[in-house]
Amino acid sequence: MTLGITISVSAQQQDSTYYLNDVVVTGTRTPKLLKDAPIQTRLITAADIEKVDATNVEDLLQQEMPGAEFSYAMNQKKHMNLCGFGGQGLLFLVDGERLAGETMDDVDFTRLNMANVERIEIVRGAASALYGSNAGGGVINIITKEQTTPWTLHLNGRLARHNERRYGGAYGVRGKWLQNTLNVNHTSTDNFNVHNAKNPSTQVVATVYGDRTWNIKDRLVFTPTEKLKLVGRAGFFYRELTRTADAPERYRDFNAGLRGFWDICKSDNLELSYSFDQYDKSDYYKIPHLDVRDYSNVQNTFRGVYNHHDWDTGNILTIGTDFMHDYLMNKNMGCLSESQNTFDAFIQYDWLINAQWELVSAVRYDYFSDHKGARFTPKVTARYQPIDNLNLRLGYGMGFRAPALKEKYYNFDMVGIWIIRGNPDLKSELSHNFNASADYTTGHYNLTIAAYYNDVRNKLATGVPHYQSNDNKQLYLDYTNLENYAIYGGDVTVQARWDNGLSTRLSYAYTNERLPKDKEGHTINNQYIPARRHSLTARVDWDKQFTRDYGLLLSLSGRFLSDVKNVEFIDYYDISQGTNTIHYPAYTLWKLSVTQRFGTACRLTCTADNLLNYKPKYYYFNSPMTDGINLMLGLSVDIDRLF
Amino acid sequence: MFEELYDTPTESINIREGQLYVDASSWLHWYYLDFNTANRNFAEGGTSSAFVRYEIPTEALNHSANPTSTTSCAGIYTYWYDVFGTGLSNHEFRSFTPTTSQPEPASWHIAVHRNNVRTNGGAVHETSYTSMNDLPESSEAFAEATFTEDVWNELDVWTVQAQMLQGLIGNQGIKVNPILSSWLKVSIPPVPPTFTLNNHVFIIRMNDGTYAAVQLQNYQSPAGTKCCLTINYKYPY
Repeated sequence: MTLGITISVSAQQQDSTYYLNDVVVTGTRTPKLLKDAPIQTRLITAADIEKVDATNVEDLLQQEMPGAEFSYAMNQKKHMNLCGFGGQGLLFLVDGERLAGETMDDVDFTRLNMANVERIEIVRGAASALYGSNAGGGVINIITKEQTTPWTLHLNGRLARHNERRYGGAYGVRGKWLQNTLNVNHTSTDNFNVHNAKNPSTQVVATVYGDRTWNIKDRLVFTPTEKLKLVGRAGFFYRELTRTADAPERYRDFNAGLRGFWDICKSDNLELSYSFDQYDKSDYYKIPHLDVRDYSNVQNTFRGVYNHHDWDTGNILTIGTDFMHDYLMNKNMGCLSESQNTFDAFIQYDWLINAQWELVSAVRYDYFSDHKGARFTPKVTARYQPIDNLNLRLGYGMGFRAPALKEKYYNFDMVGIWIIRGNPDLKSELSHNFNASADYTTGHYNLTIAAYYNDVRNKLATGVPHYQSNDNKQLYLDYTNLENYAIYGGDVTVQARWDNGLSTRLSYAYTNERLPKDKEGHTINNQYIPARRHSLTARVDWDKQFTRDYGLLLSLSGRFLSDVKNVEFIDYYDISQGTNTIHYPAYTLWKLSVTQRFGTACRLTCTADNLLNYKPKYYYFNSPMTDGINLMLGLSVDIDRLF
Repeated sequence: MFEELYDTPTESINIREGQLYVDASSWLHWYYLDFNTANRNFAEGGTSSAFVRYEIPTEALNHSANPTSTTSCAGIYTYWYDVFGTGLSNHEFRSFTPTTSQPEPASWHIAVHRNNVRTNGGAVHETSYTSMNDLPESSEAFAEATFTEDVWNELDVWTVQAQMLQGLIGNQGIKVNPILSSWLKVSIPPVPPTFTLNNHVFIIRMNDGTYAAVQLQNYQSPAGTKCCLTINYKYPY
């Protein structure tokens, strides 16, 4: 299957040290070599994932992406902030498909385990306007591995503190027309208590909740001819978290999909797909043996994408459309369940002007049946390559987010503090994203610099708590459109790899998230702690193959996050006392791991996480939930390579 | 979809003879029980609850009072709890608001408030039995047992939750029975609290010399609300 990719002879001969010849698809929805991608794409490969020994996407991104921070929202729901965007502003995809369900606006990150992941592509900002609603802050696309050999059987396990266990297995077979991959993964961690010093400035965490997860996925690929490829998949996810001994919380996801790729001719191809995803939450009451569902989000999505590749000029025309039926049942909505249909269509033209210049322009139309919202969003990106291995990119994208069903119809009494209410009259959130980047590779070194500016209009969020006009007892916190605000920042990454097995990477990100106020200029109740202004990630690896049967990888990695301030109510039960500025301290965490390779089949990894034994004085919602150094022992075996 | 995986809670409470149910989840009320009323209800085939609800006084009295944390005056005792640190065991007295005394019906044996239980001048012994059916024939078997009377408490009857997020809780100062209240233990940490059910049978010696045997069977409603108590009982015992 060619899928219309352009790989010139000269490109293949270039240095592949920094994966510049790897294919990425997320930015333009057409396969492109990383070095030729007109939209700057951060690529995290399977090798990177292996080095980090990441269990899920949280482990990985906070180590690999400066500016990515995972913190807690209410009830220890995980919230991700990526350069000032989070929750509903970031779009997570698995093989290009959206995920149903949310907890405090974010997807369930524990669903996104790193087993059998080929690579992760990250496109920041609304340069990814092709993805429409929810992609204003960026797209994170997790792409799973294809089966390339007749059979593989991979088993792995890891043990760590707090009875943390991770077991996984992947079995794959490939024949002339068929290939199948089955993945089964299980994780578990105990709850543990952490100790806070006296007089914290704001809310802190006293118990960190562990959980048990099961993740089962099967993927079947049928290639009846060279021009046709059909991919079927099915998956099940289960997570149980025990906050109350007799009533553990359960999270389940059921997903399935069918996708077809057809190379109509040398220059044209068509992709059609259907995707089903259902994410449920329930509470299991142990004494009466009742498993009661209180949330269900079901998404049925149909998609079609057509590509025309003009081989003479290198230009690519992409036309696509999506239809999604979105159903939400939530016991905290007044009407219990709501649904809506969404439709979009987009057209994109990738114009290779000459050897130095490339211009990608696109426009997208979105329609939402609930309150009949509609929007056109354009984007344009230019790539200029003045010399070999230097790429300059400049882009503009309009980001757009329609109000979620929850934001329109929610009605939730938050532990007696206030009632969070949906607002059916919300307008869509709009953002103007400007970005510029440069990447340069020479010899052993690679440098990437990027900057962005986001102007956000009508941000969707909860506003200022208020009393009803005729009642001064019950506080309400309504979803609303906030005043316009801006997020801007940039990042620099320097990488070096030498022939002696030594490699290093240093990344720094600056984020300025100027927090919005409501339309009247009042300070709002920020749902989430804002982004930290400075963050840095660092990694040094030394990889040496001593003999044919023995190799060693030493990895030292760390991250630093600067302090951050947030305006919060002094007393949530008495907002007349006003607000306080809460200071959240900076911190740094380091990890050392030693991986020994025995033959080509076995890997033994010993890791000391939180190497400096850092223990926060206060476990605020954005503190690292660690109570000291964590020693981990992992083993992975490729059974097929033993023979 | 997948509805068959889940259950639909029923709001109807099915209790049999010798069993009681009360939604005692309110922070602001005591629920009083006279076992004679409960027996009479069952004898008459009635379905009405034998529990009678009385509000906890929280309105401040006009005259000022300034007790220390050990003074046994009716009122709301506000304590700070180290909820996010070492837990409930670490607490400090912060303020006192005098109120009227707790109103109560003319005749009652026990009263429940969430996980707290009082007796009307009675005393309680915790047995090692975990089934009402295994109990000795009568209470005479416990004649030599140690019974514990109600004791003054200003830490556990959580009444005012207005400043809960700051770790401040207003508690009613009142006598409660520590033995019988141990049938449902609330622990912090973790947060939110853990509820632990003690399924032992308790023997209550009333102030009129009669005895009752009680056992907490469940503390959740069919919809999962905590402090909705299903109680097995035998009276007179």
